[in-house]
Amino acid sequence: MGVRDSVKRFFKWFAGVVAVLLVAAFAFFSYMAGSPKDAYGMVRYALPHMHRGALKVGSDAPDARLVSLDGTSRFHIREKTAGRPLVLVFGSFT
Amino acid sequence: MREAHPTDEWQMKSNVKDEVCYAQPKTLEQRVAIAQDFTKRYKYTVPFGIDDMTNEADAAYSAWPERLYVIDESGHIAYRGGMGPFNYRPAEIREWLAARYGAVRHETPAGTPPTSSNSSATTGPATGGSSTTAASAPESETKSAK
Repeated sequence: MGVRDSVKRFFKWFAGVVAVLLVAAFAFFSYMAGSPKDAYGMVRYALPHMHRGALKVGSDAPDARLVSLDGTSRFHIREKTAGRPLVLVFGSFT
Repeated sequence: MREAHPTDEWQMKSNVKDEVCYAQPKTLEQRVAIAQDFTKRYKYTVPFGIDDMTNEADAAYSAWPERLYVIDESGHIAYRGGMGPFNYRPAEIREWLAARYGAVRHETPAGTPPTSSNSSATTGPATGGSSTTAASAPESETKSAK
């Protein structure tokens, strides 16, 4: 058996091991997320948008412009902080 | 901000059960419409702000999918909650407010575990794994950002 055949066998074996590990990881992740659909959903739609961020307690609160519920007027978050504390509740309806 | 469980992405069974079924908004108008539906359905009276399609607030506060903050009078972050849903803990905000201001006026909603402090907060309904909470205390303001 030539060297080339040995290398081919090695790569096939290596690819097989990687595939088994990936399947095992997905199975474990599916178990943790609740179902394969949820595992896929988390990886595909959630993880790309989750960011730890660098803000800490004591950081200067960043400003951002938000749209009012009427859909037209806008205001800045920092406009609401002068003189008293502000609780920010971030979320979405779904 | 972005919807966490829209119909065209990762919809959960609870979204269907609770009839909270929206596609991921592609325009500001669609986001505003969802926000208006929410405030109308749950009679949500806390001042509300909507992130526009640049997601500026989300980027600034790493807010997605849900997070709580308290900004103090000097404009610094006094409390930064964990990333939701698993580390989203409204009780921590209640405790912070109670420690700062004493008893909070609003009644604790049904089903909320009792805490040692005499504080309470208004909690919105939980759908699709996300929840919205508003807490009020003397001399503080609460804003919700969607």
